[in-house]
Amino acid sequence: MALPLSRRKPQTLATWKERLTGQMPVDLAREIDVYEGQIELKKQGKIEDKLFGEARLRRGAYGQRYDNGQRHDGITHRTLPFPSRGTKGTETVWDAPGMQRIKIPFGGLNPKQMDVLADVAEEYSDAICHITTRQDVQLHYVHIEDTPDVMRRLASVGITTREACGNSVRNVTACSLAGVCRCEAFDTTPYAKAMAYHLLGHPDTQDMGRKFKVAFSGCKTSSCGLTNIHDLGFIAKTWQSNGVTHRGFEVVVGGGLGAVPYDAKLFEATVPEEEIMPLAQATCRVFARLGEKRNRGRARLKFLIEKIGFDEFRRLVIEERKVLPRDARWTDYLKDVARYEEKPAKAAANLDVANLDPAFAAWRATNVYAQRQPGYVVATVTLPLGDITSWQMRQLADVARKYVGDNVRSTVEQNLVLRWVSEADLPALYAELARLDLALPGAGKIEDVVACPGTDTCKLGIAASRGLAAVLHESLVERQQKGAIDPAVRDLHIKMSGCFNSCGQHHLADIGFYGVSRKIGGATVPHFRVLMGGEWENNGATYGLTIGAVPSKRIPEFIDHVTQKYLAGRQPGERFKDYCARIGKKALKEMVDAFSAVPAYAVDRTLYSDWRDPREFTISDITTGECAGEVVPQVEFDLQAAEQRNFEAQIYLEQNEVRKADETAYQSMLVAARGLVRTQLWDLPEDADRTVAEFKTRFYDTQLFQSPDAGQYAGGKFALYLLNRHADKERVFSVEKARHLIEEAQLFIEAAYGYYQRMTEQQAQAKAASFAAFAPAEAEATT
Amino acid sequence: MDLYKFGVKFFAADAQSVDILKLIPVYHRWIQQNALDDLLIDVADYSHVPAGPGVMLIAYEGNYALDETGHERGVLYYSKNKLAGELPERLARVAGKALKAAQLMSADAELAGALKVPGNRLQFFANDRLAAPNTDAVYGEIEPALKTFLDRLYAGARYTLTRETDPKERLSVRVQAEGEVSLNTLLARLV
Repeated sequence: MALPLSRRKPQTLATWKERLTGQMPVDLAREIDVYEGQIELKKQGKIEDKLFGEARLRRGAYGQRYDNGQRHDGITHRTLPFPSRGTKGTETVWDAPGMQRIKIPFGGLNPKQMDVLADVAEEYSDAICHITTRQDVQLHYVHIEDTPDVMRRLASVGITTREACGNSVRNVTACSLAGVCRCEAFDTTPYAKAMAYHLLGHPDTQDMGRKFKVAFSGCKTSSCGLTNIHDLGFIAKTWQSNGVTHRGFEVVVGGGLGAVPYDAKLFEATVPEEEIMPLAQATCRVFARLGEKRNRGRARLKFLIEKIGFDEFRRLVIEERKVLPRDARWTDYLKDVARYEEKPAKAAANLDVANLDPAFAAWRATNVYAQRQPGYVVATVTLPLGDITSWQMRQLADVARKYVGDNVRSTVEQNLVLRWVSEADLPALYAELARLDLALPGAGKIEDVVACPGTDTCKLGIAASRGLAAVLHESLVERQQKGAIDPAVRDLHIKMSGCFNSCGQHHLADIGFYGVSRKIGGATVPHFRVLMGGEWENNGATYGLTIGAVPSKRIPEFIDHVTQKYLAGRQPGERFKDYCARIGKKALKEMVDAFSAVPAYAVDRTLYSDWRDPREFTISDITTGECAGEVVPQVEFDLQAAEQRNFEAQIYLEQNEVRKADETAYQSMLVAARGLVRTQLWDLPEDADRTVAEFKTRFYDTQLFQSPDAGQYAGGKFALYLLNRHADKERVFSVEKARHLIEEAQLFIEAAYGYYQRMTEQQAQAKAASFAAFAPAEAEATT
Repeated sequence: MDLYKFGVKFFAADAQSVDILKLIPVYHRWIQQNALDDLLIDVADYSHVPAGPGVMLIAYEGNYALDETGHERGVLYYSKNKLAGELPERLARVAGKALKAAQLMSADAELAGALKVPGNRLQFFANDRLAAPNTDAVYGEIEPALKTFLDRLYAGARYTLTRETDPKERLSVRVQAEGEVSLNTLLARLV
C-alpha cells in the first residue's frame, strides 16, 4: 500500500544527511543510507514485512504498545485511525509511533553525545531520555520516518543503534565503576569496548535465532557487571607467571533471566585476554548453528546448553575455536588496552569534611563513591525511573564538561554516574545538580526503584510497572526525608517488571515484582507476583524466590508489612536475603497471602485498575512482542542488500558517475553471490576472486543457479553476467556498458532470489515428507 | 521557512494549583470521547520527573502536555507532522490546539476549575534544529511570521518578545501581552 507523503521533507530543506556529511563514520553513514532505502522500498511494497521488521529491529527501531492500531480505552476496543494502514512489520502499523533503542557500549558517554541524545529526544520523541537496565538509552513515540535522521545525528558523535534489538548481540555492558573501582582486578572498559565493536555486524553474529547478551565485570563480588544473568560473561582476573602479571577472564555462559531464570555456568576459569574474542565468536557460531530458530520461547543460549548438555556445548565451542580463521583484530586491540586511560578534567583534591551542609551530606552519603585514585570520587545522578529530560541532559553535559570531561556512564540501575570528580569539587557539583533537580540522594537505596517500561509503552506489558515504581519511589523519598526509614530497610533493592520477561531484573532484588493478572468475579485485576531474597551482589548470584501474587494497588502496604517484619525479626546484621532463607518460604507466603484478598468490584473498584491508569484493567492490549524479532536467514539480508546496491548504481549513473555506477552494479552481483555461497560455506573470506570461484563451482558448474523454467531464467546466462564482469580486468567504462551491467545485475539478483526460493521450497517439501513418513508411526503409538 | 515542528505553551497562572496526576483520568476520558481534533493515542506520565513534560497526551499529529519545564506550568502543544499553509497560519493552528486543550482543562469538572490560563503569556519554540537553529538569522526570518500571528491573536494589543539566548537550546521566544484575555476570545480570533 502506498503511503502518504505528508511526512516527507520538502525538497528545499537541507537534510541532516547533507549537514552531517563528513562527520559520520563512512561505514555507519552508508548503513543508515541503506536503512533509509529500505524504508523507501517498504513504502513501495517491495520488501515483505518479515524482512523489513527484522531489518528495522537490527537498527534499534522497536515496536511500541498499540502499534497494531488497536487500543482498549477503558470502555471498548477501538481502532486507531492512522492515516495509513501500511505496515512496518507483522501487525505493526506504519504510522504508529515506536521506540528507538540506542546502544551505549559499557554505558560510556561524553558531553557531546549527551547533547545529541538530548536534542534527538526533544525533536523526535517526548523530551525524555530513558536509561535502561542494560545501559542503553531509549526514546519513545518516535515515527519510523524520523529514525534515519535520529541515527545520523547519533552517528555524528560516534553512537550506533545497530543491533540494539533483533536477533543480534545486544549492548555489551560493563561495571559503571570500571577503572576506578576499589575491588576490581583491572579496568575492563577497553575489553568491553573492543568486544562490542568486534561483534557488531560480525558475520558470525548475523544468523542467530535470538538475542545474545554480553557483560564484563571487574570482580566477582560486586553487583554492577551482573555476569550471572548474561549469555556470555567475563570476570576480570590476573595471575602471576615467571614474575609477570597476566590478565584474563573467568568466563561464564548461558545465564539469563526471562520467565525461567538460569544461572550462568563456568565455561573456563581462566581465559587469557588474547583469547576472549575468538571464544566469543566461537560461542556465537555454535549458537547460530544449533540454537532453536522456530520456538522463540526456547531460542536463547541457555536453552541450547540445556538441550545438548553443558559438556557437549563446551566441546563444540572449543572445537569451533580451533577452526576459526585467524583474525588480527583478536589481539590488535590489546595495544589500545595498554594505552587506555581516562583524563580527569580537574586535579585531585580532598574535601574538607567539616561543617557540611546537611542536604549535601545526605546526598554524599549515598551518591558518592571514593575511587581507588586518591582525591577522586564517582558521583551518581539518581534518575527517577531512569528518566532524564532533554534540558537536564544538556545541562548535565555542561556540568560534565566543567567537572569530569568525557567521563560519564549509564548504569544498570538506570542512573548516570560522573566519574573522576575532584573530591573538593563535590559541594559545587552538588549545587549545580540541585539547580537541575538532579541532586536526589538515595542512589542504590530502597527508594531508587528500578522498573522496565511495562504497560506504559511495552507491547508485552501486563501490569503498570512504571506506575507502581513511581508511587513507591515518591512515597519512599518522602518517608526518607522524614527520617522514617531504618538504615537496614533503606539498603534493600526493589525492582519490577511489567511481565515475566524480566527486563526490570526483578529476580535480583531483595523484593522483586513482575506483572500478572487475576480474574476476580468475572473482572480482571492487575497483580504483581512477588519474589523475595534475590541477590544483587556477586554479579547477581542468587535469584529471588517466587512467593505469590499481590494486587497491584496493595503493593505499597505489602512492602511496609514485609519491611516491618524484617526489622522486627532479623538477627543482628542479618541481610534480607539471609532473613528470607532463614524464615523459609512458608512464612514468606503468609506475608504475601495477608495481602492477596481482593474486595468485590461493587465494594471497591480501585483495585480493578492499575497505578496511574484509571482505565478498567484489561490484558487485551498485549500483542506480539518484537523482542524476539523474526528469524530471517542472512542470505535474505544479503539479497536485499544486493538489490539496494544495484539501486545505488542507478543513482550513480543518473549523476553521470559512470565508473562508480558500473563498479557498484558489479558489487551488487558479488553481494548476492556471496550470500548464496555462504549458505554452503559460512567462512567465505571477503574476497572477490574467491567468491566468484566458489559461486562458479557451487552454483554455475552444478547448474543449481539455472531455473528448471529456462524461459524465466535463461539457463546459466545470468550467472555468466557475474563471471564475465569479474573476468573483465581491463574494462573500459562507458555509459552504455554501465547501463547494460545494471540491467544484467538486476537479472542476476532475480535469479539468485529464484534459486533461494527453489531451495527453501525443496527444504520445506523434504521436511513435510519426513513428517509424513513419521506421522503414521506416531499415530500408531497413540492409539 | 518550511517549519512545521514547533510548539506553543500557554503559561498557567497558579503553577501549583492543580494536582498534575488528576490529568491522567482527564486525558483518558478525552481519548474515549475524541475530545480533540488529533488522533489521540495514549497518556504518558512523567510526573515523577521534576520540571519535566508533566503528564502528556500523545497524539499522531503532535503531543499535548501540562508541561512543567523550568518549573513553569503551562498547557503545551507541539506539532510533529507536516502542516499546510504559511507559517502564520500554521502558528495559528498549533496555538489553537494548545488553546483548545487549555480551555477543556480549565473547564473540566475533575480539575474543579483549579487551572487558570490567562492567555496573555506564551512561549513559542521551534522544535527542529535543522530547519530553525537558534541563531539571529533564523530568528530574523521567523519574527515577522510570529508577529503576524501575535497581532491576530492579541488583536493589536501590545506585547513584548524575549528570546532564549543559549544557542544549545531550541529557538524559543516568550511573549507577554498586555491584559488578560479569555481563552474563548483567543480561540475565536484564530478560527
